[in-house]
Amino acid sequence: MAVDNSKLEKIVGKKNVLADEATLMQFSQDQSFVAPRRPDAVVYVETVEQVQQLVKLANETLTPIVPFSSGLTLRGAAIADQGGIILNMSRMKKIIEIDDENLFAMVEPGVTYKQLQDELTPKGLKVMIPFGAPADRSVLTSYLERDPVMAAPCFEDGNSLIMDTEIVLPNGDIFHTGNWASGGRPGAPSGPIRTNILRMWTGAQGTLGIMTKMVVQVSYMPAQRKIFFIPFKSLAEAVEPMKRIQRREIGSESFIINSFNLAALLTESWKVPSKFPVKAADAKEFEQIRKVLPAYTMAVVINGPKRRTEEKIAYEVTALKELCDSLNVQLLESLPNITGAENIIDAEILRPWGVLRKFNYKGSVHDLTFKAPITKIAELEKLMFDLALQAGYPAADIGMYLMPLERGRAIHCEFDLHCTAADEAERETVKTLWQKASAELINNGAYFDRPYGIWAPLMYSRAAVYSQMLQKLKAETDPNNILNPGKLCFA
Amino acid sequence: MENKKMIPAKLPPDIYRALEDVVGQEYISQDRAVLECYSKFSVDAGGTLKKHMKDPSNIPACIVYPESTEDVQAIMRICNRYKINVIPFTNGMITFSGPTTPDPTVCVHVSRMNKVLDVNEDTLTARVEAYVDYAQLQAEAMKKGLWNGGTPLATTICKISSQSAFAGVWQTDHKYGTLSRNIVSIKVVMPSGDVLVTGSDSVSGMETFWEYGPGPDLYSLIRGSGGTTGIVTEVVCKLHTWCGETELPEPPAGRPSIQTFTEAKYDTAPFPKRHTLLWAEFDDLEAEIAALRKIGQAGIGVGLNATGVYNAYYCSQTQDMTLDRVKNKFFPPYNLYVILQGIVSQGQLDYEESVVRDIIAEVNGRFLTEEYKGDVLYALAPWNLDCIRHVTGYRMNRHSYCGSNILGGPIDTVARKTREVWSKALNTFGETYVTDRGGMDDTPFLYSSNHGGRYWLTEADVYPDMNKPELLQRAQATVACGMVNTIADKYGPGANGLGVSIEPVTSFMPEVGPNAYLLFRKIRNVFDPKGICAAGRQVFTKAEYDAFPEQALAGFNKLRQMHGLQPIER
Ligand SMILES: Cc1cc2nc3c(=O)[nH]c(=O)nc-3n(C[C@H](O)[C@H](O)[C@H](O)COP(=O)(O)OP(=O)(O)OC[C@H]3O[C@@H](n4cnc5c(N)ncnc54)[C@H](O)[C@@H]3O)c2cc1C
Repeated sequence: MAVDNSKLEKIVGKKNVLADEATLMQFSQDQSFVAPRRPDAVVYVETVEQVQQLVKLANETLTPIVPFSSGLTLRGAAIADQGGIILNMSRMKKIIEIDDENLFAMVEPGVTYKQLQDELTPKGLKVMIPFGAPADRSVLTSYLERDPVMAAPCFEDGNSLIMDTEIVLPNGDIFHTGNWASGGRPGAPSGPIRTNILRMWTGAQGTLGIMTKMVVQVSYMPAQRKIFFIPFKSLAEAVEPMKRIQRREIGSESFIINSFNLAALLTESWKVPSKFPVKAADAKEFEQIRKVLPAYTMAVVINGPKRRTEEKIAYEVTALKELCDSLNVQLLESLPNITGAENIIDAEILRPWGVLRKFNYKGSVHDLTFKAPITKIAELEKLMFDLALQAGYPAADIGMYLMPLERGRAIHCEFDLHCTAADEAERETVKTLWQKASAELINNGAYFDRPYGIWAPLMYSRAAVYSQMLQKLKAETDPNNILNPGKLCFA
Repeated sequence: MENKKMIPAKLPPDIYRALEDVVGQEYISQDRAVLECYSKFSVDAGGTLKKHMKDPSNIPACIVYPESTEDVQAIMRICNRYKINVIPFTNGMITFSGPTTPDPTVCVHVSRMNKVLDVNEDTLTARVEAYVDYAQLQAEAMKKGLWNGGTPLATTICKISSQSAFAGVWQTDHKYGTLSRNIVSIKVVMPSGDVLVTGSDSVSGMETFWEYGPGPDLYSLIRGSGGTTGIVTEVVCKLHTWCGETELPEPPAGRPSIQTFTEAKYDTAPFPKRHTLLWAEFDDLEAEIAALRKIGQAGIGVGLNATGVYNAYYCSQTQDMTLDRVKNKFFPPYNLYVILQGIVSQGQLDYEESVVRDIIAEVNGRFLTEEYKGDVLYALAPWNLDCIRHVTGYRMNRHSYCGSNILGGPIDTVARKTREVWSKALNTFGETYVTDRGGMDDTPFLYSSNHGGRYWLTEADVYPDMNKPELLQRAQATVACGMVNTIADKYGPGANGLGVSIEPVTSFMPEVGPNAYLLFRKIRNVFDPKGICAAGRQVFTKAEYDAFPEQALAGFNKLRQMHGLQPIER
């Protein structure tokens, strides 16, 4: 059911309700394979009260409402599958507070990674950012959707950087979690009533509530950083070293990247895009770099904090060297054949969006992002290659990034397929491969814990009770089914 | 004491027989002597008071001992069909555990489900049944160079399943962040009898290695639900690298006899390999907080806590010794201890110790050493092993340990807030025992729960003589007063810093959330539409809310008004 735009205008003002063709087209799609759908209106909000009023109006008029912050998740999560209103929070850009003693920041949904980091840098602080997140991605949404950040390998206590939150519930009521729950100062993540209740809204694609503020952990910037590289001819070879390094708790950031993605990151003639898809660029420099890189490179980052910087780095380096010797693997301080690559990677650790240069290869990138146990990654990589071969897609053009989480308990894997957005035939071929790979990877134990688009039916069809409970929860808390209908396992 | 007979509710015979068919005659009982064992839990003031009042609702109608998840499913289906209340039970050591209504209640004791099913070195996880305790888990994990990251002071015999239902606070939360962040998957039999599994394990064909999803995280609804979402039959916990031996070192004095167990020498175990525990003292709270904050921010260590006068309760082998040490201020009133592990190497241990030494010097603190207050350091030795395997918890049971105020938050506010709130409660109602004031005039008990020292937990407790109903009532009032005061002052997530609350503090404190109780009522309806599981414990249904006794509400409203809140009108 559509809502009368004048009612929307009453809440947010005329200029903030857009229903012209160009805007509706723009918000009808992202660069993913998710089917486009035009919303009925795009509504810009600036305050939480406006969000509440819109949610109440949506309930009265049974209008779907799709929360939107930066729109850079790139996986169709903010497409209005059943029409309705795009609730655009990108102008809610306030960094409400930075507490540099207790190390947290409170942000609104429109605050981007770059914006927050720019604000934190003079204070010697950093926000933890996922590898390959666009600079303009919303911090709040990224955390809410559980994007694993680069420091995740060393989170012995779990990938949980969210502290207190403010949520507009599906009935329009305000709800606070964490220390903030009784209305005072924020500063701790638990409660109310159940310890981890905030996790209910994570990975939910805005279907269970609209988060309007989030308190996130921030950290001190290290005083010094040392990066090591370990080259591998195959992913299988990297498994044991990764396991041993992580289990020994050496290093903080760590990842394995294949030659495609590493070359893309190092191709300085390619621009880092901020809008997707892009126009493909000349690949000469990229091809030259890719040729000289090892098939896979593991990076291990050792950070030296302000206190006794060298001592800290020294004991970790000694341990890493000993371990690599015993494993008979090469430990390098720079990348052979690429002068200064270590400096580029060094800068990437703080602002890790350089790898987005990969979009220049063909224009659009379609990722398969999942988690797998360490024992499975080589098998899943082989499966991906076999499927690519069958589809006539060059295996060398699959971008790969793998990151151990919580000292290797799980491995975050990203396999990318590239295609020219405007080339219908190529897009179709890649889409077919991407769909097939999604299904086959899942059949073989790849866990898509954030099931966007077609991953949702693939996952939920294997989780009957879990889906039923989610559906009951949705029906009980959002009886009019107004929040982002059609996503996950919801009608 | 009233001179009346206590007659517990009974199950209809056909229901008893149906349950008997599930578990067999041997594993079900409605024998009064057996029921009594489940009627008063060692630490529960509410339960003990009910006993004093000869309230029959204190006693379950029947105890069943299922052997498997399938048994639990069958029990739940029967109870759900006939709308019979159910209470899950492991040790009964929490501050509440018994039946919650006068209706006949089936107590499900999971003691036969006691196996560590798997320790997986690749996914760093262990799968345990509901009755597995920390000691058992640790023994198995250490054999593979792993451990679960901590144990509660409540002793190592706490069950992981019940800890997931409510608490789960460890001495090593600083690095490992409480049990909340250490569960990969939980298997719960819901009142319908269906089994809900969370994390990657919920999706068929997936291994158990990731705690979230798919999509919204349902574990968040089970954790801390105090038995109201169903009966947990299996938990998959995270494991972490363990750098000590494959077995814990024993005290050199060996094991004590019954006659000698109160001697301190049996409590002085050496540290495990590559572990260090450093104690420091300070002139005042300001210096202590400064040190805690700096060590927290340095991102080192696995445990970072301040215990102050609590040491007298934890580390004294007898009650007399405790009182003597409290009176004579034997333990430094402002102190902290930090637990270090050398997981990377000995070099890590050396580095971290140097950092701690720098910080203590910066704030003019002093280390306890053999030379400086060696007797105090020796008396603190029980912590050597407790940092990874708790054994002292029960020593802190003065007469009882019947209620707590646990606050959470940033170090600068939480330490002061707990002193303010608890002192006010004690000043209003009076102490029940000399140890109630613990930490109020010096350092409150403080636990770092985050590796950057961002947030902390703090605790204050009451220890009344359980034979004195008036003291138990006073203790209850003190605890409730502390909770209401905290919420009225807009501090923290509600009933405690863990974020868990129970009735009537859930429904009659609408300031939390606000109106968090209305959302949780819906969640309860999702899991338990008939309201049979630990009925009325965590969040009332509308009917239970309406039926809450007028007199009790009046008492509660008095507390609200005392703290400047409007009384609740139904
Ligand atoms: C001296 C002392 C010190 C303490 N110190 C600490 C501490 O440092 N840290 C800490 O975390 N806690 C501490 N506690 C409290 C602690 O939480 C409990 O003692 C402990 O968790 C209770 O475990 P239990 O096995 O005895 O559970 P029980 O008391 O049997 O049950 C606890 C709750 O869990 C529910 N439950 C039990 N089994 C299941 C199941 N299988 N499925 C679903 N629900 C279930 C019960 O219904 C009940 O609501 C302390 C307690 C004492 C007495």
